[in-house]
Amino acid sequence: MIGLLLATSPLHAADPDADALLARLARPAPDSTSFVEVRFSSLLDQPIVVAGRLEHRQDGSLVRSVEWPYQEVTELHGENVSVTRAGSKARRFSLDRAPELRGMLTSFGAILQGDRQTLDKYFIVSATGSDARWEITLLPRADKLRRYLSRIVVNGVESSPKCFTLAEPDGDESLMALGITGPGDLPTSRTRDALHAWCAGGNRP
Amino acid sequence: MTKTRRGLLLVAWIATVAILGWVVDRHLVIGTDLRLFMPSPQTPQERLILDEIGEGPASRMLLLAISGSDPQAAADTSRALAAALRASGEFRLVANGESSLEAIPDSLLSYRYLLSPTLDHSALDAGFLRAQLEERVRDLSSPAAGLLEPWLPRDPTLELLKLADSWLPARQPQLLYDVWFGASGKEALLVAETRAAGFDPQGQRKAADVLQRAFEDSRTHNNLRLESSGPGAFSVLMQERTQGEAQWIGSFDVVGLVILLLIAYRSVPVLVLGLLPLVSAGVAGLAAVGTIFGAVHGITLAFGFTLIGVAQDYPIHLFSHQHRGLDARSSARALWPTLATGVASTCVAYLAFLFSGVRGLAQLSVFTVTGLAVAGLTTRFLLPSLVPDSNRDAADSALLGRLWHAIAGLPRPLWLGVATAIACVVYLALSPRPLWENDLGALTPIPPALLARDAALRRELGAPDVRYLLVIEDADAESVLRKATDLDPKLEALVARGVLQGFDQPARYLPTKAVQEQRRAALPDPDTLRASLNEALGTTPFKPGIFEPFLADVATARQLPALGPADLAGTPVETRVSSLLLQRENHWTGLVTLTGVTDAAAVAQVAAAMPGTTLLDLKQASEDLVAHQRERILWCLAVSAVLLVIVVFVALRDALRVRRVLAPMALTTLIIVALLHATGVSLSLFHLIALVLAAGLGLDYALFFEHAADDPAEQRRTLHAVIVCSVSTLLVFALLALSTLPVLRAIGLTVAAGVVSNFVLALLLTRPSTRTDG
Repeated sequence: MIGLLLATSPLHAADPDADALLARLARPAPDSTSFVEVRFSSLLDQPIVVAGRLEHRQDGSLVRSVEWPYQEVTELHGENVSVTRAGSKARRFSLDRAPELRGMLTSFGAILQGDRQTLDKYFIVSATGSDARWEITLLPRADKLRRYLSRIVVNGVESSPKCFTLAEPDGDESLMALGITGPGDLPTSRTRDALHAWCAGGNRP
Repeated sequence: MTKTRRGLLLVAWIATVAILGWVVDRHLVIGTDLRLFMPSPQTPQERLILDEIGEGPASRMLLLAISGSDPQAAADTSRALAAALRASGEFRLVANGESSLEAIPDSLLSYRYLLSPTLDHSALDAGFLRAQLEERVRDLSSPAAGLLEPWLPRDPTLELLKLADSWLPARQPQLLYDVWFGASGKEALLVAETRAAGFDPQGQRKAADVLQRAFEDSRTHNNLRLESSGPGAFSVLMQERTQGEAQWIGSFDVVGLVILLLIAYRSVPVLVLGLLPLVSAGVAGLAAVGTIFGAVHGITLAFGFTLIGVAQDYPIHLFSHQHRGLDARSSARALWPTLATGVASTCVAYLAFLFSGVRGLAQLSVFTVTGLAVAGLTTRFLLPSLVPDSNRDAADSALLGRLWHAIAGLPRPLWLGVATAIACVVYLALSPRPLWENDLGALTPIPPALLARDAALRRELGAPDVRYLLVIEDADAESVLRKATDLDPKLEALVARGVLQGFDQPARYLPTKAVQEQRRAALPDPDTLRASLNEALGTTPFKPGIFEPFLADVATARQLPALGPADLAGTPVETRVSSLLLQRENHWTGLVTLTGVTDAAAVAQVAAAMPGTTLLDLKQASEDLVAHQRERILWCLAVSAVLLVIVVFVALRDALRVRRVLAPMALTTLIIVALLHATGVSLSLFHLIALVLAAGLGLDYALFFEHAADDPAEQRRTLHAVIVCSVSTLLVFALLALSTLPVLRAIGLTVAAGVVSNFVLALLLTRPSTRTDG
């Protein structure tokens, strides 16, 4: 199916067809990929970097395991989130209390399932670039979500997403690079611009 | 008496009753606090029990479940409902799992260091701060970042979160969409504590109405349903059922009585006149209770009207003796000695309840005595002037004649009466089963399905036990809180042993002032804290200077006076503390609610080791109270029985006649008690009241039979009167006996059996000797 879509999609169009792109990106569960996440916070004078694995399970839940530089497991099951760090009690909360996380999960889930309808329901979807190097930008529709989440940018190469970037209104940002195994695969300069350029670059993860 | 004067008298009578009724209706306050039917407390222990039975948090707690649509809709409704209930003023505490973090007012924010136990085992030094800051860096790169980030500059140790977590129930249901859900994930769960006491059905009714309205307004989907469970919800439900069934039975009664009286007297005016003494009795009774007590209890009202129903018999005696050529006034004069003896002795019996020490029963006594006296007097002095001349004579009835003839042939088995009495006494004395029912709940049993549902909800919510409660008493709040603090580790040990599942105590929310002061003393001075913080920050990526709000808060906390119960007013902590820490007249009471007690003795042992601490077993305590109360009522009844015999003796002045009048009633009481016991019924206060009522009826029947002169026509008229009286009473109480509610059935069965037994025994043992005149 993916092959068929690849074969029929226009490879050289100025803007890629978002529907076709999404169809290519769909990954049926179970699926697992490594990630490196860089977080910029207004409270910090340098970004924090963690690395681990993301696992999309058959039952629809998502498990984010941080393996470096410490161990932490986040389970996202339906509405419930639990964060367990080695040596301390699990912290549990629901998505209602973390709207930006809900926004991120909704987009992530919809992309994994190729669900254009859900994406359109919550976001204004636009795609730029080429089929080889593309960028999908998601702008939240609801005011409530906009207070916590300015936009989500997904960069990718061919049929693989490469970076998920979440920008918050207060300037905080979190960038998740998929498919790389450690911070060593990121550019040495950890500035936002350098990372954005890396995400938009053509090299395959 | 001329027609005009008769009309004037009738109008004046009706007008007086109507005006008095209007005044009573305007001024009478109907109370519903069930404790009015409990004995007034004699010892401090009893006062404590009576306070806690209706006041304890468990008795006020309603368990709520919202289901029927998708979980998201249920969760949204749960949030809206909780907000509406909190705003309604009818509920002290509403919990649905939502974190109270945002609800903590600014005034309390700086108090977090005095309220949270962190400083008991750690100091705010560089080492502790560094460890905390490192955790916060990790938090910032975790999915919880958005949640925690806004708080960090002010609260890098997340003290507020620890506090909010520690205030959550130890065992709580799962959270979905941030609110509590049952294990199935389909129903949102809430706990609401009513402001009204558990023993106040009216207050509970109001709370239930507010709850229902709030739910209608909050529900986000039409398919959603709300279930509520708990003592308050049950009392509202049972009250509705009792009222509904009593109304249904009442309407059948009225129809039956009207038909019966029309058959007996074939006259509409007689039917209407017959109601006047009864209505006057009711209004006068209410006026008397209102004047003496200021308010009347709902139960007094319901029972009172059942009891003065006897007054319906008074005009019947008058009507049955009416015949051509007889002026009703002279007839009334002739009947009066008998009627007066009946009224007086019944009143004496009810006077017993006046001295029972139970306010509700005293009200019942005043109501009944006043009502019966008024009914008797109006039947004697007002009614006869209004009775139209009759052309009918009950004595002319051929059927009645044959019946009387047949009765005349019956034996007078005096020996059988004595033998029955002895058999009953021996049976009751030898039976191993307890005669009395001490569990008041047994009379208004809650359907098993609802009880099972309640238990399930209670388990899921970890709601406190309604039976056991630890009570701490001391002169001041600080001492109570200190004892609660000391109890805490001991109870934790019991939880670890599985003796109970959990507990809640006031010091969990409000530590003693001593503890707060100790924590305050442990706060470093601003310079030391700044130095420690800078040292801790050295190795972290945090920007310098962002923790100024934290430094300011700690500096503020160092100057804060320790919080007392009064300082909590208006905060969410107050609602929790106020239900567990109460100021009574001259002392303070702390309550420790227990969940899932499996070994009460072990808990009692812990309580016994702490002076001023008691484990209340509310079930046992209320049963003891009931037993104690009954003992006193029985003594009062014994005294009134003696008085009754004296009244009858004074009226009849002949030992043989007294014996003939009292025998049916005494024997009936014994037979009914033995019958009830033999059929497995345990006697309650309601049976006692019903027995007194039956005895009063029996006395009337016997008095009239005994009174009937030698004239066979008079004898037949008396038979007619007693048949109409007993059939009408039997009709009322037989219908009541068909009720599905044990309390109504108890009264119905007892009185119905009493009517039959009294009638038969009066015929056998009391009827006058007959001259067979063909």
